[in-house]
Amino acid sequence: MLSFNRLILIIIFLIAFDVFVWGEILFNSPNKNTELYFFDVGQGDAELVVLPNKVKILIDGGPNNKVIRELDSVLRPTDRYIDLVVLSHPETDHFTGLIDVLKRYQVGAFISNGQKGQSQSFKDLKKIIQENEIKTIILAEGDKIRYQDNYFEILSPSQNLIFNNDLNEATLVMKLNAQDVKTLFTGDIGAPIENYLFQKYDLDIDILKVAHHGSKYSSSKKFLLNTSPKIAVIEVGKNSYGHPTKEVLNKLASVGAQIFRTDKDGTVKLLISNQEINIFRKKQ
Amino acid sequence: MRVHDFTFYGIAFFLLGILLASLKVDFLIIVFAVVLTTAIFLFFALFRSYGVKPRKIYWLAGLSLFIIIGSLYYFWDDYRVQKINHIVFGRKINFEGIVIKNPERGNQQKLTVALRPPYSGNILAKLQPHPSFDYGDLINFEGIIKKPEPANYANYLAKDGVFGVADFPKTELLSQNQGPTIKSSLFKLKQKIILNFQKVLSAEKSAFLSGITLGERAEFSKEFKEAMSKSGTTHLVALSGYNITILVMAISYSLGYLFSRRLTFWLTVLIIIGFVLMTGAEASVIRAAIMGFIALLAKQIGRLYSFRNAIIVAAFLMVLINPRVLYFDIGFQLSFAALLGIIYLGPAIQKFFRMKGEEGFLGWRRNFLTTTSAQLGVAPLLIINFNQFSLTALLANILILEVIPPTMFLGFLLGAIGFLSVTLAAIFGWFTNLFLVYELTLINVFAKISLPIIGIGFWGLIIYYLIIIGFIIFSHKNAKL
Repeated sequence: MLSFNRLILIIIFLIAFDVFVWGEILFNSPNKNTELYFFDVGQGDAELVVLPNKVKILIDGGPNNKVIRELDSVLRPTDRYIDLVVLSHPETDHFTGLIDVLKRYQVGAFISNGQKGQSQSFKDLKKIIQENEIKTIILAEGDKIRYQDNYFEILSPSQNLIFNNDLNEATLVMKLNAQDVKTLFTGDIGAPIENYLFQKYDLDIDILKVAHHGSKYSSSKKFLLNTSPKIAVIEVGKNSYGHPTKEVLNKLASVGAQIFRTDKDGTVKLLISNQEINIFRKKQ
Repeated sequence: MRVHDFTFYGIAFFLLGILLASLKVDFLIIVFAVVLTTAIFLFFALFRSYGVKPRKIYWLAGLSLFIIIGSLYYFWDDYRVQKINHIVFGRKINFEGIVIKNPERGNQQKLTVALRPPYSGNILAKLQPHPSFDYGDLINFEGIIKKPEPANYANYLAKDGVFGVADFPKTELLSQNQGPTIKSSLFKLKQKIILNFQKVLSAEKSAFLSGITLGERAEFSKEFKEAMSKSGTTHLVALSGYNITILVMAISYSLGYLFSRRLTFWLTVLIIIGFVLMTGAEASVIRAAIMGFIALLAKQIGRLYSFRNAIIVAAFLMVLINPRVLYFDIGFQLSFAALLGIIYLGPAIQKFFRMKGEEGFLGWRRNFLTTTSAQLGVAPLLIINFNQFSLTALLANILILEVIPPTMFLGFLLGAIGFLSVTLAAIFGWFTNLFLVYELTLINVFAKISLPIIGIGFWGLIIYYLIIIGFIIFSHKNAKL
């Protein structure tokens, strides 16, 4: 025999379960547009690309676990799956946040350029990949990631760059094509790689993730003229290097790019719909 | 004087001695004061004034010598602890140590390290969050050990036997699993349960859930810590002492809604033991659990006034093990104040307002009474120690504590199911999420509308407690009429 008290609890439980199921049906409808997020994670990089049907690609995780809070504010509470996590290159200001992401989220695959990080904390990253048995994929120049009509082209690194020990120059450089809007993710590459890339590829793009937090050794004038970005996002926080440098800011302005920086604008969201780019900033 | 009175006053004087010594009162002054009070007692006894039995006064005069014994014990223990420490301060040195507590993680990693020869003693090492270390790791450090500053921070650390701080030394892991196996596997289990929370809940919510179920304090964002402090709900996650006492009561009331009295009692005891083990059986948690157990026993037996000695003997044993807890451990004071509030003030309020013994849905009436009396018991301590205690905190606590037991239950369920399947856990996660949304929303709302009280000072505290004691006596006498 059920007592009255227990019956009430069971009924409450069933009603709540019903609400849960209907909530998932009604509010979890797929998106049609592509969304780009440039997270405000301090001095470091973390970008999220949400393709149609909630296909999520996280590029880098920043220098701390702030990326977790950023993901929380973007994703639905029941959405605990990230399709691809990409590490552009194994430096702490790019991968540290990924340790927590890989711990907390279920991840389809982990993509990197295959280089190993020299810092102690890189071991923590490797450990969590092993423990959670996350599929790892190494990509290089010429590879592609495709979803429906959207695709990432991997433009760099070539084999030679991988064998060089310079971590920044071996960054996984990716160009996203979504609804004819082109975005270039540059990681921390410097001017030499930039020169190599615009000579080899058609780099006329719309959105540029400015390389190396606005360092003066990146974003050469020639490169910017060739890429002619309409929107340039600098992922930067408090630092002692003088990032973003005046030189880079001036150069970006001179090629007519609208500049956003995560230290001033907070997280920047770009919504691509009908081949137009809508801009949202967290801080105004 | 009967044996239990003898015990009570003897221990009370002993504790007073410890307190005076903790306050750094000079030993000679203590002796002088004791001799003086003894003399006054004897003086009154000789003149047989006020109709008090002289025998009782003779006893009190004799027992006041326990003040001296108490302070001597404190000084001796202090000397003993200082003697076994050998730490070199202010110079860059190489030293080895073993992590002896579960590391505090978050924006910083804090390790409690027991130094290895040629050095000895415990220090706190603050490190970057990665690479992360575990309980039982043997680490080689290179850096400077400083004396903790300011003085109250030094005292706070000293109560746990920590006398030095090293900020961001260089580290190298030498070997693992140097601690007791049972303890390290308990910590690992705890870590895995927290991970199961993190897998299905957002960061803020998983942090809060880890706090209320496992006492894990790291991982909170600055904003959220501030919100909890402003709304007066920090104790839910931070001060295991006081919250275990309240939680134990809340759990037993909501279990009482479903099960028989006896089964409820044993289930609650089981939950306390689980809680203690899970948090790594740290001294502060064990102390708190004993307090919680006494409160539960008092409720089970119902004869509240027979608990005077149980409480003071418990306090005596804890202080005997570590004399510093009496004055320097806020958690210890809070758990006592909460316990006394529940045992003495609770029934007084019940009688005063002529409340009936009905429990209501999930025992909310009982919960309300427990929370209120515990809150009133600890309020001045919270004001003095945390400044930001607010008038609205009482309401916030009652509204939140009501749903803490079901949240904990779902939390543990979630933690267990997470080992089987993350997908299945996610479904339970959604239910837990409902409660967590409610709790976090309340915390944030009450953080905004809090009415802060500015410090009340030492005399305010004394006056407050005198009023409370007066109220208890008044209500007790009234009921007898």
